[in-house]
Amino acid sequence: MRRYKKTIIGSSLLLIILLMSCLYPLYGPADFNQKVLIHDENGRVIDRAPFPPSEEHWLGTTRNGEDVHWVLLYGVKFTLIAAFSVAVLRVIFGGIVGIIISLWAPFLKRYFKDFFLTMRYIPSILIAIILMIPIKFPDDVAISSIVTYQLIILVFIGFPSVTVFAADITDELLKTSFVQSSYLMGAGNFHIIKRQLLPYMRSYGILFTVQQILSTLQIIMQLSIFELFLGGANRAGIFGYDDPYGRPKLASMSYEWAGLIGQNFTEFTQMPWIVFAPLLGFFVLILIINMIKKELENNILGVQLMKTKRKRKKEKPLPAAQTHTGKFDFLHD
Amino acid sequence: MKRLLRSLIRIILILFGFLFIFTLPLVFGSAEDTVLVDFRSFWDGLKFNFQSLIQMNDSSYLELFKELDITNSYQYTMTILGGSLIVIIFLAIVISILIMLTPEKVSNRLKNGINFFEAVPDLLVILLFMLFVITLYKTTGLKFLQLYGVFGNKPYFVPIMTVSFLPLFLLLQFLVKVITEEQNQQYVLYAKAKGIGRLSILLVHIMRNIFPLLILQLRTIVWVLLSNIYLVEYVFNINGFTQQFLKLLFMGGDFASLVACLLMLAIPLLVMEALAWFISKFIKGKEAVSI
Repeated sequence: MRRYKKTIIGSSLLLIILLMSCLYPLYGPADFNQKVLIHDENGRVIDRAPFPPSEEHWLGTTRNGEDVHWVLLYGVKFTLIAAFSVAVLRVIFGGIVGIIISLWAPFLKRYFKDFFLTMRYIPSILIAIILMIPIKFPDDVAISSIVTYQLIILVFIGFPSVTVFAADITDELLKTSFVQSSYLMGAGNFHIIKRQLLPYMRSYGILFTVQQILSTLQIIMQLSIFELFLGGANRAGIFGYDDPYGRPKLASMSYEWAGLIGQNFTEFTQMPWIVFAPLLGFFVLILIINMIKKELENNILGVQLMKTKRKRKKEKPLPAAQTHTGKFDFLHD
Repeated sequence: MKRLLRSLIRIILILFGFLFIFTLPLVFGSAEDTVLVDFRSFWDGLKFNFQSLIQMNDSSYLELFKELDITNSYQYTMTILGGSLIVIIFLAIVISILIMLTPEKVSNRLKNGINFFEAVPDLLVILLFMLFVITLYKTTGLKFLQLYGVFGNKPYFVPIMTVSFLPLFLLLQFLVKVITEEQNQQYVLYAKAKGIGRLSILLVHIMRNIFPLLILQLRTIVWVLLSNIYLVEYVFNINGFTQQFLKLLFMGGDFASLVACLLMLAIPLLVMEALAWFISKFIKGKEAVSI
């Protein structure tokens, strides 16, 4: 288990954050310690939100007077759950379709690539924006259906690349000698999947999922800049925000981290804590997941490298043994 | 004949894939609290979009597209793209050579530092650059770095710096990896044995050999640059192509305009692919001759 030390540490950290966020109603203040105005003893107003970080408000407060650290703690569960579920769905659908294409219909692979050629030339952020715009200003639609739609779109954006990857890897595995000999002995496709491919699929599936979590996090954050928030936007806008052009600034409804970044990024000159706290939090999340990804990549892809190296070493001594009859030996070659 | 048929099928598939992706929102009609799957409106939308692509001689064709300030903004965006590409290639080659020339202990540490930047979100970089420019202005009063593109301003320096920051590290990582692999080759050892200095081995021999790989990698770099440029133009409020594109989207432009915009955005990538194709063909041809 020592080979997966970083993975275990990283995922348990994420799990702790998720649990703390899910259990927030049990211990946290329901209104995030909301306090808009500060009065002195005579009842006169001496200050109003937003307050900068201080001992009382660890990460400062929002314009609405809510403590940023409580808001962040409350909202992180949506970010994590959304990214994780999108990644898992992408890998499941893409993996299944990829394996089916590779095993039963290899000729389809080319056509599949052609069908989704658009995705190769237009960055996914643009496609996501175009597909998400229809629900930017929904008319009386329940949040659940907005979220479902957004998740479907997010899954769809990553689906082609995962499918092609999965098909490529399955093609590679089908060429290996153990699968070939299994076929020669009369195994069917289902048997191959169950016996030969499944052990590989487990490790590759986990690696894919982690990679997809990263890309989902990135795209959620980029979308939020364009005011396309996961979980819908609050049309009333941010409390106390004065726009020079008079339009309300949309606010994220779910307090999800990417949404918090997106709704506040214009305010970083006056109140940098509001946007930098979730942004740095996001950065930490990405760092943790990237650490897990690196280790998994090293373990899965590195193991194969080691095997080939070992093989080469085994093959080498043969000619050396034959030339041993000379007057001197090569100690290092 | 068979080839012709196959390419015909390909073209039809690409077209339908395109139509499918962009009419996808119509599949999901929204009811009160569930998502309905509605194939009929999807099919109608497909037909409608297809028709709007074909009706060239209609007067409303590309109506919005002609209204927008396309050529200027496209030129501007492409200037930023080209400028940052040149900056990235130049800096990446110089820095990678410097890294390879430093002692092993230092260069290992530098490599780890480069790998760290892989995980930095692009938004963090953009906001930090903004903060840097603004604090520079506040503390020193110098206003030589233009940030926002309001009042017809066309800033170049800050957008190019911001856009090329992360891709630079991407290319640097790639170059360092490739050069390290190349240094294990026999000819490097031979050149070393002949007494050629490290710098000239790097500059003359290794650089020449990794040049095709660099060109092949440029597609990824342009891809990352493009998606960074959208963000930067939006955040800095620069009147580039992205703004026109978003205007088109939010004003509900017709499908043909959307297609035209997307094709224009794909041009740099197509150029890069063509370049890579020629390079690989050139190299293969050379090898065939040498054999």
